[in-house]
Amino acid sequence: MPVWLLMPSLAFVAAFFVAPVAALLLGAFRLDGVWGFGHFSAFFAEPLNREVYWRTVRLAGLATLAAACIGYPAALAIVRLPARWRGLVTALVILPLMVSPIARTYAWIVLLGRNGLVNSLLVSSGSVQEPVPLLYTEAAVWLGLLQLMLPLMLVSLVSALENLPADVEHAARSLGATPLQAFFKVTLPLTQEGLVLGGTLVFTGCVTAYITPALLGGAKVLMLETLLYQKVNSGGDLPAASVIAVLLLLTTVAVNQLLRRASAARRTRLAPSGAVPKAAT
Amino acid sequence: MTGGSRPGWFCAAALALALIFLVGPFFVVFIAGFSGEETLVFPPRSLSWRWMAHIFTVESFAASLRTSLVVAVVSTVAALLLGVPAAYVLVRRNFAGKELVRTLLTLPIIVPGIIVGLALLNYMVLVYDMPVTASLLVGHTAMLLPYTVRVVSGSLNNLRLDIEDAAVTLGATRLRAFWLVVVPNIRGGLISAAVLAFITSFNQVPVSLFLTGPGISTLPIEMLAYMETNYDPSIAALSTLMVLFTIIVVAGMERFFGFTRHV
Repeated sequence: MPVWLLMPSLAFVAAFFVAPVAALLLGAFRLDGVWGFGHFSAFFAEPLNREVYWRTVRLAGLATLAAACIGYPAALAIVRLPARWRGLVTALVILPLMVSPIARTYAWIVLLGRNGLVNSLLVSSGSVQEPVPLLYTEAAVWLGLLQLMLPLMLVSLVSALENLPADVEHAARSLGATPLQAFFKVTLPLTQEGLVLGGTLVFTGCVTAYITPALLGGAKVLMLETLLYQKVNSGGDLPAASVIAVLLLLTTVAVNQLLRRASAARRTRLAPSGAVPKAAT
Repeated sequence: MTGGSRPGWFCAAALALALIFLVGPFFVVFIAGFSGEETLVFPPRSLSWRWMAHIFTVESFAASLRTSLVVAVVSTVAALLLGVPAAYVLVRRNFAGKELVRTLLTLPIIVPGIIVGLALLNYMVLVYDMPVTASLLVGHTAMLLPYTVRVVSGSLNNLRLDIEDAAVTLGATRLRAFWLVVVPNIRGGLISAAVLAFITSFNQVPVSLFLTGPGISTLPIEMLAYMETNYDPSIAALSTLMVLFTIIVVAGMERFFGFTRHV
């Protein structure tokens, strides 16, 4: 099996992926034939662009936080389920990942729209006279992102909890730890990598989401990808689009590194304290 | 376990919330898809098949569905043809730069699709006059390649080397040994990779955004366009069919090939 079998795939990726993407990204650093950050300062000089950037990071962060808070206890419940139920629940978690994001996001339009469930409940209960705008708000986009990305957090956490030695929590309890102590000193640190992986996947997925902000945020609640689309399609502002492309990529790579670092630092700090399986058993 | 009931209840409640969050939206879309109303009202006051029937009369849906199917099939086949040999070499051989190669082949999964679409539009379609259809196929193939490489690598990792060597020792050529020994043994992985790639391409939006237009469009892009000008339950009806189709495919795959083990 000669190594040249790699050539077709490498040539394909180089020609149709690396080259055009690199050209687009490099374009963000070139203004009037000179290398520099001119396009970036122009981009961040506009208040709207700054607002969209921070909104993207904020919504992605809040969705990641919420996914971790719901996902961790839910994943604990999943690994404790009897085998019969566990298969079904796992299927219900994985299946949404295969379904078109449009179909998954559309439910929020149905629920939050002018004549949607929430508004009809509000109006019929007399809390409001007129339907209130719920769609095209940050809250709607946040809900949509959380729903879309939650399976990724669950899958990462379930596999981390599966790899956790079964008796460490028990050992901590028998040595006198309260259930909460056992959780925060043993279970959580030992499954941190799953949490970091899930967090990275969710955050990155949120930052680079297009369908959710397009459907639930519209032109009112722009995020980086919808802003990029708008820049190209109404005005053909390619420099701004390449700046957004660089920001999308930098943000995702930076978060990746940051979370990885944080998790490594914590691990070395914890190791001598004895909260590792070898010392606990 | 003493005192275990309180955290137990808390976790069960979180799981219930998560499941409602994951599965609930599908029921909402199903009910809305069978609405008898003129516009999107939820809950609908009457149920009917009218929007299910209506989506089959929308010309742009039919045309874009055909495009979506062709793009998904062609890019899946291309991603397998490129990815299977690559996975094979990556699993079986050690060579300088192996990690670099692996990184390069998985790069398309890290780069947001919208960037790939825009890059192909600007530096292939506009600069080198690449046809838009070709760029759409190329963009989809690039995005699928990491999936086929990963899934097929996983299957190859589980396959014992010596059965292939035995075939070669007994006189088979390497290629013949691959077809007669390796392929049947990684069949589940190959089929899972193909289905995963097909679904990923069919649902793909960001890559297609800039590579579609009035002449050529995929179904998800057409759905987004339809939603901008129409406020009727058609999209709910169409989404219902897509969800049911996905459930049937994934459940069937799981039953016969252990889909979730591979992907």
